[in-house]
Amino acid sequence: MTSHSQSAPRGSVHDQVNLPSPTGWPVLLAVGLALIAGGVISSGYVTFLGALIAVAACVGWFRDVLPQERHVPVIVVPQEIVIVSSRRKVARMAPRGLARARLPLEIYPISAGIKGGLAGGVAMALLAMFYGVVSHRSIWYPINLLGAVVYAHVQVTAPEMEAFHIELLLVATALHITTCVLVGLLYGTLLPMLPRRPVLLGGLFAPLVWTGLLHSILSIVDPVLNQHIDWLWFLASQIAFGLVAGVVVVRQVRVPTWQYPFSVRAGVESPGMMGDGDSRD
Amino acid sequence: MAADSIAVPLPRTESRSLLLDWLCTVDHKKIGMMYIVYALIFLVIMGCEAILMRIQLARPESTFLSADAFNRLFTMHGTTGIFFVAMPILIGFGNYFVPLMIGARDMAFPRLNAFSFWMTAFGGILLYASFFTGGSLLHGGDAPAVGWFAYAPLTSPAFSPGHGTDFWNLSLLLAGIGSIGAAVNFIATVLCMRCPGMTLGKMPLFAWMNLVTGGLILVAISPLTAAQLMLMADRFLGGHFFDPAAGGQPVMWMHFFWIFGHPEVYVLIIPSFAFISEVLPVFSRKAIFGYPAMVAATAGIGFVSLGVWAHHLFTVGMPSYGNAFFVLTTMVVAVPTGIKIFNWLATMWGGKIRFATPMLFCIGFLFQFLIGGLTGVMLATAPFDWQLNNSYFVVAHFHYIIVGGILFAIFAAFYYWFPKMTGRMLSEKLGKWHFWIFVLGFHLTFDFMHVPGLLGMPRRVYTYQAGRGWGVWNMISSIGVIFQAAAILIFVYNIVHSYFRGALAGNDPWDAWTLEWATTSPPAEYNFSSVPAVRSRRPLWDIKHPEDPDWKYE
Ligand SMILES: [Cu+2]
Repeated sequence: MTSHSQSAPRGSVHDQVNLPSPTGWPVLLAVGLALIAGGVISSGYVTFLGALIAVAACVGWFRDVLPQERHVPVIVVPQEIVIVSSRRKVARMAPRGLARARLPLEIYPISAGIKGGLAGGVAMALLAMFYGVVSHRSIWYPINLLGAVVYAHVQVTAPEMEAFHIELLLVATALHITTCVLVGLLYGTLLPMLPRRPVLLGGLFAPLVWTGLLHSILSIVDPVLNQHIDWLWFLASQIAFGLVAGVVVVRQVRVPTWQYPFSVRAGVESPGMMGDGDSRD
Repeated sequence: MAADSIAVPLPRTESRSLLLDWLCTVDHKKIGMMYIVYALIFLVIMGCEAILMRIQLARPESTFLSADAFNRLFTMHGTTGIFFVAMPILIGFGNYFVPLMIGARDMAFPRLNAFSFWMTAFGGILLYASFFTGGSLLHGGDAPAVGWFAYAPLTSPAFSPGHGTDFWNLSLLLAGIGSIGAAVNFIATVLCMRCPGMTLGKMPLFAWMNLVTGGLILVAISPLTAAQLMLMADRFLGGHFFDPAAGGQPVMWMHFFWIFGHPEVYVLIIPSFAFISEVLPVFSRKAIFGYPAMVAATAGIGFVSLGVWAHHLFTVGMPSYGNAFFVLTTMVVAVPTGIKIFNWLATMWGGKIRFATPMLFCIGFLFQFLIGGLTGVMLATAPFDWQLNNSYFVVAHFHYIIVGGILFAIFAAFYYWFPKMTGRMLSEKLGKWHFWIFVLGFHLTFDFMHVPGLLGMPRRVYTYQAGRGWGVWNMISSIGVIFQAAAILIFVYNIVHSYFRGALAGNDPWDAWTLEWATTSPPAEYNFSSVPAVRSRRPLWDIKHPEDPDWKYE
C-alpha cells in the first residue's frame, strides 16, 4: 500500500488537494477525559461535567467522519523546486571500472575458512599434546583440561588429570572442533580485509591479543582453571593455530564478491527495485 | 519566504483565528510543533527543579529545601523528564518528519493525532496542578513525593495521604492514552502511507525507528496502565493489590512498572538513534553504513528490551536463575547497540566530515552514550548492582543516557531540522557556544556524580552528613549545573532569536538526501505539491547525481 487514501488522486489535477478539515472535537474530548480524571481528585461534579463533554465530543467527532470524512480543498501552488547539490564532486574508489563496489572485491569461499580452521586445529592439538608429554608425561592432560571447562566431573588432582577419561575426550573434541571451525570461518572472512601481511596479522598478532585478553580475565572468571594453564605454551599453541589456519586460508582460491544485492540476483521485481528498462550486465 | 505561497482555503477572521487554528488543527506539522514547544517549556521547568535540588545537595546538611519539598522535586523532575519532556519532544519530531520523509501528506489518523497531543498536554497540566493544591507552595503543594517509579507500599493511602500520588497516577494515565494514540498513528502511517517506490527497505532509518518505537509503546504502556488502575482501586475503592497486610504484593508493582519502565528507556533512545542515523550521514557526506544491519539491530533492541525488566529488581531478591536470566538478556542488548555504534563510526570513517552544530551534538552523543552504555553493562551484572543499586552511581548512569545521549540527540535534531520547520537557520555561532558550554556542564555534573555513588551515597536523600567524603563531589556536580543552565539559556535565546531574525534557510540548507528537503521550508500544508516517487533510500541523491544514482546499487 503506497498510495494516499486521503489525498487527491495522484497524477491528476495538481491544483487542489483534499486535506482533513480542522476540527475542535479531539481537543474537546481530551478536555472531557482530563476533567473526568481531575474529578476523581476534586469532586464528582467535575467528573460528571467531563463525561458530558466527552460524550458530546465523541458525537461531534463521529459526525465529522461518518458517513464521510470531512475535507477541505486546499489549492496547491505549483512551485519549481530545484534540487541540486552544491557539491558536484564525488570521491570514489572506482576499482576495475565499477562506479561503486562492495568491498572487499574478492573473498575466500566459506570452505576455505573451514579447511583453515580444521588444519589449524590439528596443529594446535598436536602441539598441546606434545606439551602434555613434556610437562606431565601424558597426552591426556591438555585434553582433560579443556574438557573440564564445561564438564567438571574429575577431581583436580594430578593423577586424575593425567589419566584417560572418555567423557572428557568427547567433550574436549567437540569443543575443540567447533571452536576451530568458527575461528577458521572468522579468519576466512577477515583475512581479505587485512591490507598487508594477512598471515602475520592473523597468525601472530591476533593470537597475542587474544591470549593477553584471556590471561587478564581468566584469573577472575575461573581461578582454578587459571592455575593449571601454562601461558607460554598456551600462547605457542594459539600461534600455531593462527599460522597454520592463516596459511591454509590464504592458499585457497579467491572468488569475486557479488556486486549486486541478493534481491537483484534473485530476480525479484517490485516497485523501486532497479527497473525502468535499465540494462545491467 | 516560501511559506507565503500556501493557499488558505477558507476565509478566516483574523482576530481569533490564530488560537483556533492551533486548537483545531489536524496538521501533523503543527501538532509536531506543539509537542515540541510544549516539551521545551517542561524542559525548562524540570531544569529548574534540578537546579533547586543541586543547590540543596551542593553542601552537606543544607537547609535550603525541606525534606518534603525535596521528595516532591525529584518525583516531579523524573516524571516530567520522561513523560512530558523526552516523550513529547521525540514524538513531536516523529510527527513532523515521518510523513515528510515517507512522502505522505499527513499522518494516517490526523484527528487521533490531535487528540493524542492534547491528552499528553492535559496530563502534564494535571500533574502540575498538584503544586497548587493542598499545602503551601513553598513545600511543593500536594505534588507527588513517591519517586518517578512510585513503588508500593509507599503509594498506599496509609503512607501517601493527600492527593499527590493520585495526581501522579491520573496524569500518567491521561498521557498514556496520548502515547498509545501516537504509537498507533506512527505504525499505521509508516506501514500504509509511503509514497510510490518506497518499499520498507528503502525507508529512511528515521521511519524504521519510529515504527519500532510505536510497537514498543503499544506493548509497554499497557502494563503501566493496568498497574495504575490497580493502584487506583487500592486508593479509592479499598483494594488490596499492593497491600502486603491483606495478601497483596508490592513486588507485583515493581514488575508491572518495570515491564513498562525498561522498554520506555528504548522508547526514548530509539527515536534518538533515528536522529543520529539521519544527521550523521549528511555531515559525513556518506550513505549510512550497514542499513540492513541497522534495521535488524533496531528490531533486535526493541525485542530484547521487552525481556530485561527485572534487572531493576536484583536487590529485591530473586532466585539465582532469575538473576542469571536478566543479567544475560540485559547484556545481550549490548550486541545490537554495539552494532549501531560501529555502524555510525563506519559511516563517519573516510567521510568528508563537516563539524556543524548538529554534527557536534551527534559526536557528543556517540561518546556519552557509549560510556552510559558501559556503566549500564556494569550495573547489569547482578553482584555489582547489589552494591550500587539506588546509589548516585545509578543516577549518574541514567543521566548519561538521558542527558548525554537522548538530550544531545534532541539538540542535534533541533539544529538540523529547525531550518525546515521555520525556514530560518539557527545561529551556528550560538550553537557552538551552546554545545561546548553544555558539554562542559554535563561532564562536570555527571562524571563526578559517579563518585559519591561509589562512596555509598544513596539516591533521593535530601541531605547528607559532613565528613563522609561526599561534599566535594556534590559541589562539583552542582557547579556543573550552572554551565548547563547557561547553555540552555543560549539555546532558548537562539531559538527565539533565529525564529524572527535567523538567516533564511532555503529548501535544502544541508545538502541532504531525504524527502523532507525536497519541499519548501516550512512545507506547505499539503507537504508536497505533487506526491514524490522514490527509487532508493536517498531520493535526493538520485536527483542530484543522475549520473550515479543509488538505486542502481540497492
Ligand atoms: Cu532497565
